[in-house]
Amino acid sequence: MQRDFWKLAWESIAAHPLRSALTTLGIVIGVASVILLTSLGEGTRRSLVSEFSQFGTNLITIHRGKTTTAGIPGAVGGTIRKLTLGDAEALRRVPGVDALVPVAFGSARVEFGERGRDVVVYGVTSEVPKVWRFAVGGGRFLPRGDPARASSFAVLGPRLKRELFGEANALGEHVKIGGRRFSVIGVMASKGQVFGFDMDDTAYIAVASAHSLFNTEDLLEIDVLFSLGASGDSVKEGIREALIRRHGGEEDFTVRTQAESLDVLNRVLSVVTAAVGGIGAISLLVGAIGILTMMWIAVGERTAEIGLLKALGATRGQIARLFLLEAALLSVVGGGVGVAVGMGLGALIRLAIPAISVHTAPGFIAAALAVSLAVGLGSGVLPARRASRLDPIEALRAE
Amino acid sequence: MSFRDLVGFAIGALRGHRLRSGLSLLGVAIGVASVILLTSVGEGARLYVTGEFATLGSNLLIVFPGKTETTGISPFLTEAPHALTLEDAEAILHHVRSARRVAPIVFGVAAARVGDRRRDVGVIGTTSEFLGVRQIRLRSGRYLPAGELARGQRVCVIGSKVQSELFGARNPLGEILHLGEERFRVIGVTAPRGLSIGQDLDEIVHVPVSRGMKLFNKISLFRILVEISSHQEIPAARRNALELLKERHEGFEDVTIWTQDSVLATFSRVLSLLTAALGGIAAISLTVAGVGIMNVMLVSVSERRREIGLLKAIGVMPRQVVSAFLVEAALLSTAGGALGLAAALGATRLMRTMYPSFPARPPFWVLPAALSVSIGVGLLFGALPARRASRLDPVAALARR
Repeated sequence: MQRDFWKLAWESIAAHPLRSALTTLGIVIGVASVILLTSLGEGTRRSLVSEFSQFGTNLITIHRGKTTTAGIPGAVGGTIRKLTLGDAEALRRVPGVDALVPVAFGSARVEFGERGRDVVVYGVTSEVPKVWRFAVGGGRFLPRGDPARASSFAVLGPRLKRELFGEANALGEHVKIGGRRFSVIGVMASKGQVFGFDMDDTAYIAVASAHSLFNTEDLLEIDVLFSLGASGDSVKEGIREALIRRHGGEEDFTVRTQAESLDVLNRVLSVVTAAVGGIGAISLLVGAIGILTMMWIAVGERTAEIGLLKALGATRGQIARLFLLEAALLSVVGGGVGVAVGMGLGALIRLAIPAISVHTAPGFIAAALAVSLAVGLGSGVLPARRASRLDPIEALRAE
Repeated sequence: MSFRDLVGFAIGALRGHRLRSGLSLLGVAIGVASVILLTSVGEGARLYVTGEFATLGSNLLIVFPGKTETTGISPFLTEAPHALTLEDAEAILHHVRSARRVAPIVFGVAAARVGDRRRDVGVIGTTSEFLGVRQIRLRSGRYLPAGELARGQRVCVIGSKVQSELFGARNPLGEILHLGEERFRVIGVTAPRGLSIGQDLDEIVHVPVSRGMKLFNKISLFRILVEISSHQEIPAARRNALELLKERHEGFEDVTIWTQDSVLATFSRVLSLLTAALGGIAAISLTVAGVGIMNVMLVSVSERRREIGLLKAIGVMPRQVVSAFLVEAALLSTAGGALGLAAALGATRLMRTMYPSFPARPPFWVLPAALSVSIGVGLLFGALPARRASRLDPVAALARR
């Protein structure tokens, strides 16, 4: 009996190959576009998350000012809230803190001979390679020493080095940064872009030198690396308490673990992916209407056949199931082909433009197939009801 | 067969199968409506942003300290070896001929306190010119006093939200507001205005610029707004200001100057692109609707073989048969397009009544585009069924029952 059902459904699909193919095509287009769009979204999310987590996961960032809903606190403009080098040094005593980098930055012109380039200049300490996981390509990074003392050493990002020195050796040469003389002791390994911001087109100098260059005593942020054994939340709490004590009882700063930042990023990107996928899914709705139309026509054409089945003793439920099965078959086949087409297009995009990341999560595939099954069943309901309610005598007379 | 006959033939065929025709039409309607709705929202966002920029006043130059060729960050740096100073702002006013008004700005966040009520507020340090440049209206009192830049009285003008949260129902004029450790006398309250490009002006406290610089311990301005007397003079004024500042900064060109036009153009371009992308994704559903129409038309061709055979037998040309079916397909899709258009226009109108500040409205090209695309969908996807009908052999079509 069960086999007969499948056979009947399949035969009526195969009887009109062009019509069935076109009905399915609607679902194929819908599913393929949803799969492709969500894959693009998921790919973007993954590449941003990996850009983010290359700094390591056991990182805590302290910004001046309290978080506002606007996002990054204290990044724009001034504030009466200060983070100082003293604050940074005090944090070294918080249990679990392994290393930290106080960060000041600004923009300045870096010059070598006739060539010059306006870039971002970071004021940092010797611990950048460890905390940020940046590798030095040649020479060495800034030497250890009292962070409150200025020095005339500079380390260049690889792009800046290329722009100023070409292929020539830069180590030991003197450059001018904002009109002051610095000697180049290292060149970083290439790091590429992070969030569209070119990390290679920068220069690193001691934080105290940056303070004097930019005429400020303020830190933009403090990046803390905690030891792998410690829990991020307890270190964060320790940092919070230590800073509140130093700031006269006021919490005028924001402490955020890498995990929390990642969480925000993930949430935002998932919402965007879902929205774009949802817009793509409008096609699925239109495809469902296509199935409904064609099934409705099929019921009309097969009135005589249905009458015969009923006369032979087929129940209403069996007739309804037959048509539901046919609709579901059409749309699930469409869903399967759609997934394949969507992934194929994704692979093509990846080949053509390697910069775009495409990733199809298995969950999307399962969801696409489930949705196409639901679409088929949903759009089959009306025609199936119509078929099951036909009066066998009337139906046979229609012949 | 005249055109009228053609249309009559097509309408007759469509009316013979109302549900079927209605469903095919619905597909196109959904497609057209979603494209129009999404582009309307996108266009609304563009109009909103450009409208916000217009409230900045017209013909503005925006001067930032610092300049960088590093991709991805430039205008948000506030630190540079040569500070952008009040003297720079004065020099622009005096030496750039077309500069009409100059408003230097420092910006930051500070803890405000009145009695024992406290909250963090944004503080703008600026001059009396800011009022005109940013087109701010006052609810009560007066704005910052005009006068020498370097002399800053301890007075402030507060946003309406700052007033309600720190003073409640009391009249704040003449009262004292603490910013950090300093005391400021309130001399004015700005009228409520709401969000303005990322800054809620209702939550801002305005103080004289030199006071602001002391408060935040800054020697550099955050930016300088320069109003130019006429639109044509903007490029020249920008060049003059750049040269002037380079000269004043020992030969270093370490400022970035944006014109309001270029900022506006960038925003506009990005948002238009986004709108087009969303509309394009929604337009995929139109293809699906087209496939649906093609399918239904194919069915109707095979159902009407005898009719077609008869037409051909009495001498109707294949070309006319093609036209008859094309007209039927185009009628279906155009009706769907019109329905979708009406639904989308109704929805955007509803949106505008619900959110009056957000100008959701279809871009100007949407009406002709929706109409021509829906006719195009019908003609394109009607072509195959029409050809099939025209190639029927009249003898075979009539012979087979």
